[in-house]
Amino acid sequence: MSKKQSFIQVIKTGPGTKIRDLGRMGYAKYGVPQSGPADLQALVWINHLLKNHPNDAVLEITQPGLKLQFESRSTICLAGAKAEIKLNGELVNSSGILEIPPLSILEVGKFQLGSILYLGIHLGFQTPVRLGSRSFARGITDQEFIRSGDQIIYFSYSEKSPSKLNSRAKWDLEYLKSEKIKAYTGPEFDLLSEDQKHQIKNQRFTLSQLKNGMAVQLEELILNELGSIYTAPVFPGTVQLTHGGKLICLLQDAQVTGGYPRILQIHQDDLRILAQKNPNQQIRFQLIKS
Amino acid sequence: MVKLIPTLKKITPTWWEIQWKEEPSEQLLKTRIAINEWLTDQYGNDLLEVRQGYQCLSLIWNKPPSPEFKLSLPSIIPIENKEISTWKIPVCYGGKYGKDLKRLCEEKGIPEIEFIELHSKTSYRLEFYGFLPGFMYLSGLGESICFPRKQFPERVVEAGSVGIGGNQTGIYPIDSPGGWQLIGRTPVSVFSPFDSPPVQPQAGDHILFVPISEDEFEQLKNEAPSLKKV
Repeated sequence: MSKKQSFIQVIKTGPGTKIRDLGRMGYAKYGVPQSGPADLQALVWINHLLKNHPNDAVLEITQPGLKLQFESRSTICLAGAKAEIKLNGELVNSSGILEIPPLSILEVGKFQLGSILYLGIHLGFQTPVRLGSRSFARGITDQEFIRSGDQIIYFSYSEKSPSKLNSRAKWDLEYLKSEKIKAYTGPEFDLLSEDQKHQIKNQRFTLSQLKNGMAVQLEELILNELGSIYTAPVFPGTVQLTHGGKLICLLQDAQVTGGYPRILQIHQDDLRILAQKNPNQQIRFQLIKS
Repeated sequence: MVKLIPTLKKITPTWWEIQWKEEPSEQLLKTRIAINEWLTDQYGNDLLEVRQGYQCLSLIWNKPPSPEFKLSLPSIIPIENKEISTWKIPVCYGGKYGKDLKRLCEEKGIPEIEFIELHSKTSYRLEFYGFLPGFMYLSGLGESICFPRKQFPERVVEAGSVGIGGNQTGIYPIDSPGGWQLIGRTPVSVFSPFDSPPVQPQAGDHILFVPISEDEFEQLKNEAPSLKKV
């Protein structure tokens, strides 16, 4: 089976659409963030179903209003949030494999559950590699977001699609409804008072409107007298406590260092539960031992 | 030889941290770098990365380390007297490239030339990179030219801008929002995503700012030279 370079025409997109792979490991010592996926399991599942390399690049979609046209034949796979998806005007499932005939139009509408949808393609999207990854990142890749009018390169089939993809596997949506997030105590957790620790363990927290790929702030305040710390490493999943008592949960595009006390570290399996939540939804932390 | 009194903390099964209580100093920086090198040497195959902070090293393991790891940490580590590189970074101070310099000088009641002298005579220690790709945490800023960050950060600070924020000074390696007081700009690129590694100076190296004129800035900008060692 030969492959031929084709492109997707981005007819329109909402803000925040990005190319993602597993990210840049080992460049943090130069200040370069990892920029891996917010929902790692979704990316891994997609590439597995497509029989891709685990690090192949996918599209990360965080807003309705995306409309794409595929120049030629391919196979795509969706996972992550549950959303209204139309292929050539017909409603289709928002998870699993989809065969794409030439000149197909795919539309992403309303998100019904969750906030991040991943779209993978056979052999992955072919945007340039910078510092070992295709993940979009400010100052590293040529662009930070996909824009309307962009063309995204992929490899199409010259004839028929390969059969025998694992198209019957089902994407489990249960995690999108979960509120419980497992977290380890962070390096500065011991600086907290018993009252503060109690509050963090027992309070339900509401996601504020201040959510982007770098972080999400929680609404409920933790009365706080801790100051700054000397700048120290932080990671996706690190929960920081600001002077004002706000909890900031760092997400996939987090910078590599920070100056607020690091009081929790979200378990990597549960980071997607938080990342998939929308503002006004609630979570609670379940502290676990390392 | 320096006595090493850090604590070792297991944060998650694969994130461990070596922490010091000492205030940041040249001695601590050298110790941190020596241990970083020792770890890379001894455990390089098992470590995905080692990340530095002022008072800590974060170790990210590809699988939980064996119980012997803790015991294997040496209580004394030699600080090699290796040569420290000093990098010269040309900076055009004030004017359109350092729009806050005039105001800072008025606040302190010192002439611009004296301010520039104070900023450019010090050789700063590169503690580590963080915050932005290629952003150097530099220590050694003189107390007389420390300034608080702006109350409202600017939406875009241009790449190459040299600023002061609290007791730190540094260069914005890429366009970014930022709240530091801007005193100048360098025409030299300190970060390139096309090169690996994308930066030249290493943690522990020294950085020296060299004042240049606007004409020299324009000329260097066109030539796009790389960083030079002293």
